[in-house]
Parts: sequence; C-alpha cells; structure tokens
Amino acid sequence: MLSFLYARQSGLDDPVRLRRAESTRRVLSLELNHNRDVDRIHGNGINTLDTEVIDGRYMLSGGSDGVIVIYDLENNSKKPQYTCKAICTVGRSSRHVHKFSVETVQWYPHDTGMFVSSSFDKTMKVWDTETLKVVSELLCYSSHSALLCSVLAVGTKDPKVQLCDLKSGSRIHILQGHRGEILSVRWSPRYDHILATASTDSRVRIWDVRRASGSLFTLDQHNGDKSKASSEAVNTAHNGRVNGLCFTADGLHLLSTGTDDRMRLWNSGTGENTLVNYGKVVNESRKGLKFTVSRGCSPEFVFVPCGSSVAVYGLHSGELITMLRGHYNNVDCCEFHPDYQELYSGGKDCNILAWVPVLRQPGIEDDETNSKRGGTQAAINPAFEDAWSSDED
Amino acid sequence: MSRKRALIADTFCLTKRRRCAADSVTDGAADIRSSLQYLMTLFSRKLFNDSLPPVVLKHQLYSLHNDKTSVDKQVNELRENGDLLMFQLGFDSEAFALVFAEDYRTKVLQGEAGRETLGTVEKFLAKLIPGCSDLSFNKEKMLKEFLFTDPAITQLVKSGVLTVRDAGSWWLSIPNSGKFIKYFIKGRKAVLGMVKKSKYGEILKTELEGHHTTSQVKFQMKYHIHEIMGAELVESIQTTSGTLLRYVDGNVN
Repeated sequence: MLSFLYARQSGLDDPVRLRRAESTRRVLSLELNHNRDVDRIHGNGINTLDTEVIDGRYMLSGGSDGVIVIYDLENNSKKPQYTCKAICTVGRSSRHVHKFSVETVQWYPHDTGMFVSSSFDKTMKVWDTETLKVVSELLCYSSHSALLCSVLAVGTKDPKVQLCDLKSGSRIHILQGHRGEILSVRWSPRYDHILATASTDSRVRIWDVRRASGSLFTLDQHNGDKSKASSEAVNTAHNGRVNGLCFTADGLHLLSTGTDDRMRLWNSGTGENTLVNYGKVVNESRKGLKFTVSRGCSPEFVFVPCGSSVAVYGLHSGELITMLRGHYNNVDCCEFHPDYQELYSGGKDCNILAWVPVLRQPGIEDDETNSKRGGTQAAINPAFEDAWSSDED
Repeated sequence: MSRKRALIADTFCLTKRRRCAADSVTDGAADIRSSLQYLMTLFSRKLFNDSLPPVVLKHQLYSLHNDKTSVDKQVNELRENGDLLMFQLGFDSEAFALVFAEDYRTKVLQGEAGRETLGTVEKFLAKLIPGCSDLSFNKEKMLKEFLFTDPAITQLVKSGVLTVRDAGSWWLSIPNSGKFIKYFIKGRKAVLGMVKKSKYGEILKTELEGHHTTSQVKFQMKYHIHEIMGAELVESIQTTSGTLLRYVDGNVN
C-alpha cells in the first residue's frame, strides 16, 4: 500500500491505479458488519433494491407485500454503530400502494425527485418522492422494467417489450421477438439506445430501440457452433430460463444467469460468448434474479445471490472468490455501492444486510497502552508504524 | 483477532508473482495432458473387454485444476490440434467425454476388423481426426464436405461411429458406449447415495475411496469421485484431515 502511495506521489503511477487497488482490496475483505444495520420495515421478502446514482445516499427497496421504503445510507452520527433509517415508506395503508408484490423499483437516473415501481398487479407506477403520490400509472401486464432518461422499457408476460415515454405518459413502441415471458430488462450504460432482454424461452436479445425492425442479435452460447447443442437448443443463451441480466459498468460486457445453473459472460458488442466458466451457479429462482457487478476495482467482481448466500466471482477469471453468508433465507437482490465498496443484499428473510469492508481495525490493546502512557504520544497512523523500531530510543 | 485468512488481490502479491510466473506459463498445456493421462489410467478397460478406448469426462478435469476457464481453453487447443476428440454423451447437455484420437482410432478399427463397414469407417476417421472438431454433423455436411453417400452414412450409424440426433443430423459417438453410459450413471447414483447416507451427509474423500464398492459401482471409486467433484454434485471442503465431500441438496440424481 505504501508503495502505491509513493508511486502516485512521485508520478510513477496513474492516480487511478491506487484507487483501483484499494477498491479491490476493500471488496475482497467484505464482511457482515456488526455496526451497520438497516431498519427492518418489510414484513415480507425484499425483491429489489436500488441506490440513487447522484450521491449514493438514498436507497429504495421494494417488497413482496407491495411496500416501498426509502432509506438514508449515510452515517451522520459520529459513532460506528449505525442503523440506516427508513426515511419514508409507502405502506399498506397508503392509497396508492401496489396490490401485489413489487418486482422492480428504480430511481429516476438524474435526481431523486421521482422513482418508478413495477409490480405483479399489472401496473407500473411513477411516484413523486416528496409527496409519495403516484404521478402516473401505466397498465401493462409486466413485472420487470428498466428506466433510462425518460424512456421506460417494460418486459411483459405476453412476450413483448413495451417502451413507454415518461414525459407524455404514453407508450412509444413495442419490440417483438421473444417467445416467452420476459424476466429481465436492462439498458446498456454505454449506449443510450441499446437494450438487453432475457426471457423464459432461453434467449437473450439485444435491441437497438431506434430501429423499427427486430432485435440486433440473439446471444448464442455456442457461438454459432451448431454442432455442440441438441437441435432445440441451437441459438439459445442458456439451457433453461434466463432470469438475470447485468451489464458491467463500462457496458462492454453482459452477464446472464439461467436456471441451467450457469452464468455466462458475453461481449455486448458482438454477442460472443467469452466462454468464462464460473462453474455451477445455483439458480432456482422462478422470477428475475437481480445481481450486480462491482465498479472501480481492478479485477471486477460479480455478486450473485445463490440460495441463501451471495457468491462473489472474479468477472474475467471465473473463479469463486468467496461466499457471503448471513441471510436466513433466499437472497433475492443485491446492490453494490461504488463509492464505499459496500454491498447491500435483501432477501426472503425480510432483512437487508450491509456488507462492509473490514480493514486495519485499530486493536483494542493499542488503545489501552496509549492511555496508560498518559497520552504522551499522539495517535500514530497505523500506516506509519513499523514492527521493528523500539520506542525506548 | 480475526481467524479468517484475508483474501489478498494479485496486485498486492507482486514479489510472489514474479517468482512463480516463469514456471506456471509453460506448464499449462502439459498439465492438462498429464491429468488426462492420469484419469485415463483410472478407467477400467477390462470391464468392456478392451473394446472401448479409455474415456474421461471433461468435468473430471475441473476437480484436478482450479481454473475452469483455462482448462476449457486448453482442452479446446488439444482438440484443434487433433489430439483429443470430444463427444456429447446424451444424458446431460453439459457432460462431454474426451478420448485421445489415436486410442479412438485403434479401438474403432479393431472393432470393425472383418466387417464390411471397415472401408467407410476408415474413410470417415481419416477425414475426422486431423481436421474436424465438431460434435455433430448434419446431412449437407456429410454429403457435400465429406462426400459420403446415404448408404455410407447408414453404414457409419450401424458401426456405431454416428448416432442419431434428429432427422438429418448425427452426433459423433464412441461405438459400444451404451454399456459405458449405463454403468456410469448407475455408479454415479450409487456413489452419491453413499455420500448422502453417511452421517451428516458428508464424508472424507479418503474414506470414500476406501469404501467397499457395491455391485452397482463397476468403475473405480476414484473415477467416480473425480466426476462428482468436478460436476459440483458434491461440495468439496478443505479440512485439516483432507478433503471433505458434502452432499448438495437439490440434486436431481
């Protein structure tokens, strides 16, 4: 670590390198933190989490009981023991609450004044954060959606993707091509017009929404080598339902998980399967699985909910780094906070757990000895302490 | 004090990496070949009266090497070179069988000796082994690229080198492999049952190897153990007394 600091100081290294190295070290030491808690409001499982992009301070969560809660993640008290308080809740008593389970919540990408929620009660609601009232409601038989600027892409049960414009509240157009229910929809972070959708017909399609014709391409797990698959499985992304999609932060790669217990990494420009082998990624989920990729680390990490724990894989190497155990029941969603390298995961046990990096904690013995010496030494930064010099000289 | 050993990224282990870098790169492909040869020795030839070449499953390699992606890459390299042949076994879309090309050729020709299909099979093998690394063939390919006629294709299916995939396409297969697949599936089920029935559903790998084999298990225990470890049908945990195999719930088998 000191060598990185020195290299940055003397200009040998790019400043980004130190940041990446430290982020990676922090992600590798993620642990369930005793000090950090999130208020427990949900009475039923938590299906989705979303952190806003601007500050990374407010987090939305949507639950199976239709309740939506907003939490403040920032620690303003000076104590390490901190509970992330729920600022406001759209509870069962609210007039506008969803009737059934909320599947996706998403903040408006440019500010926190508005958010969107979609649920199994066949509606998609746009909420005003100040008043917690529904500004507009769209009826569509959907359960998964993704928001980009003012265009909302909704994946519906009859296999089409509906694009809606939030400014006017109307539907723009429909993307046809899938043959099964759409389980996941994602916009590319790199290009505004690229959309990826995953469905129960084992296919993942990439669309350019500016074009009137069908999808750009379908992702093929055998990369066009038709001889490898059985004839029904030709041109499919997985050998089962595809229920999770995630773009990497730079938008160059796309990850997909399927019920064939496999996770695949695709090149999002060409649609080629990079053939990184993650092994068996247990996936029994019937609905969409929300997983996430780290941002700003040197080998990127994928955090996938696997049963009742979260598995951390190296993105390009495919090796299982560690399993984060702590939930009592199935984990449904996880969200990575890029500024603090923290992971929040929510599951059926109605808990949101915060996984915080644990590094270089000051030992309790050091504090005691310091106070014994009568405070003659100012607290020394542990980075400058060494193990060989004696204090007696 | 935290007992857990912290995970350290590669970037912080600079000195270690410099020292190991030299020997790890060259050993890559050689490693896989030697692992394959080791696994081939575990295959029981006598069981099939020497009519089958030694068959290894691709995921058995995963139990010997950590990095699955590099194992896949090296297997593909060996296939491109024409040293190794890969077959789709049919009972699992992800289970692939690997056979050394020379072994395959000798066994097939040995099995065909004296039959009238010998000539066609020889022609097919000549086309297959150096160049082609496909797992299945469809009709146009057989007719146009390989210049086989319909009766020739029927002869190939009869001899067992091709099996039907669907109308107009065929999988590449190992002749007389039906018995192998039958014993394999039975043996796998029996070994998994042994792990499941043991106390707490877990057993040390060395103990399982020493277990007496029931009549269901025709192959060597080590062969089956590598297979279930590589296919992740059991969870392998490193303990101070060796590797522990724990049964994973939710297995179809």
